[in-house]
Amino acid sequence: MQLASKTYEADSISAVQELYHSSGWTDGLPIVPPTADAVEACLDWAMMPPDQLIGIEPVRGLAITAEKLAINAVMAGCLPMHFPIVVTAWMAMMQDEFLLHGATASTGGCAVLVVLNGPIRLELGASGTFNALGNSDRATAVIGRAVRLCLINLMDVRPGVIDRSTLGHPGKFSYCLAEDEEDSSWLPLAEQRGVPKGASSVTVMAAGAPRQLMNEWTTKPEEILETFAAEMRANLRHYSIHPGNYALVIPKQLREHLQAAGWTKTDIATFIHERARIHRREWADVGKGAVVRDRGDSVYPAMERPDQLLVVAAGGPAGGFGAVIPPWLGNKSHAVTLPIGVCVDCEPPKK
Amino acid sequence: MTFRVLDPTTEKAPPAGKLAPRLDTLEGKTIGFISNGKEGTKGFFKHLDQMLREEYGVAKVVNRTKSNYSAPADKRIVDEIKGWDAVVSGLGD
Repeated sequence: MQLASKTYEADSISAVQELYHSSGWTDGLPIVPPTADAVEACLDWAMMPPDQLIGIEPVRGLAITAEKLAINAVMAGCLPMHFPIVVTAWMAMMQDEFLLHGATASTGGCAVLVVLNGPIRLELGASGTFNALGNSDRATAVIGRAVRLCLINLMDVRPGVIDRSTLGHPGKFSYCLAEDEEDSSWLPLAEQRGVPKGASSVTVMAAGAPRQLMNEWTTKPEEILETFAAEMRANLRHYSIHPGNYALVIPKQLREHLQAAGWTKTDIATFIHERARIHRREWADVGKGAVVRDRGDSVYPAMERPDQLLVVAAGGPAGGFGAVIPPWLGNKSHAVTLPIGVCVDCEPPKK
Repeated sequence: MTFRVLDPTTEKAPPAGKLAPRLDTLEGKTIGFISNGKEGTKGFFKHLDQMLREEYGVAKVVNRTKSNYSAPADKRIVDEIKGWDAVVSGLGD
């Protein structure tokens, strides 16, 4: 396999770290040295030649190749088996509707949320239970980190360069979770969004930080979901009034009440669409009276349609918690779901 | 132990635009403003419009606003640019 990337020599592991940090090629954490062997192992696993074009970044016309994604994936700590997820996430991010440049350059400072569905989660040990939105497992940690390192090195999404975020959030180190499909009667997110049953898939969303909520004091679906809707209303008031993809992460304790009452993800989305909306005049209550103008009676829903809600079953078994993950900025970016490894013209790389 | 490690960047500069030749004078010229649509552009461009006309003799100022402040300018705006002598593109943050 002939790799095209420039090679550097470093005398020690610490010299490798200093080379990458001083060149601006990291997220500030140590990296795994991307040797040719490690990179080729990723490409072999995915059956991709190094120069395979994964996509063209739509705004600046940047060609994204398998080799460069693999180098960054190795740096992030990915094993070969993690690499196809990184590739698929990037294919999804380069769809026009994701608005990759805007989402990663914006002062709004969102991160790319990656949600895994299907059997590949089990092969990778991607856990959707304890600490689902934190450091839950190796697979989600390194996949999320790989997405960010690729942004840094392939699109110059570095702070103060293309990344103009005012604040950013911790998900910009890694923001990946797996759905807990085994412990849920709901349709997996990807299936809900049209991927055939049994196919592994990746969903990407330009996402703000999770907003955690708690309601341990009811078993009624309407009351549980009212807490989620209230958190979304808070986001509409405090952050942005624009409608778009929101994600709800619903752990087991609250999920079981909803499932026992027969509520599906579609039922949840319909309820939330009705409840998660505010009047523009409410902005005056939170210090934003200057932009209410003469439109105080206008109603602003969090989503344009119920199917813009991404409901994910994930989280540890105990605790009446949940999370609302808001969009970067309404409909400017749309979540994209793609199956992994679906290819009509695949052939193994030439040795 | 020597590590042989690979460059993680694209290694090539992205396809870049080229600056148009600088104007000798603004006198009698047509200047286009492309606003990203944010609130802060309004006062800035209004003032710049006045300054260009009154102090620099600009003949015409064309104001255009992008439909999405996070995306490149709309094609309809880009198509108009060739009719202008210079462009000022502004953020409103």
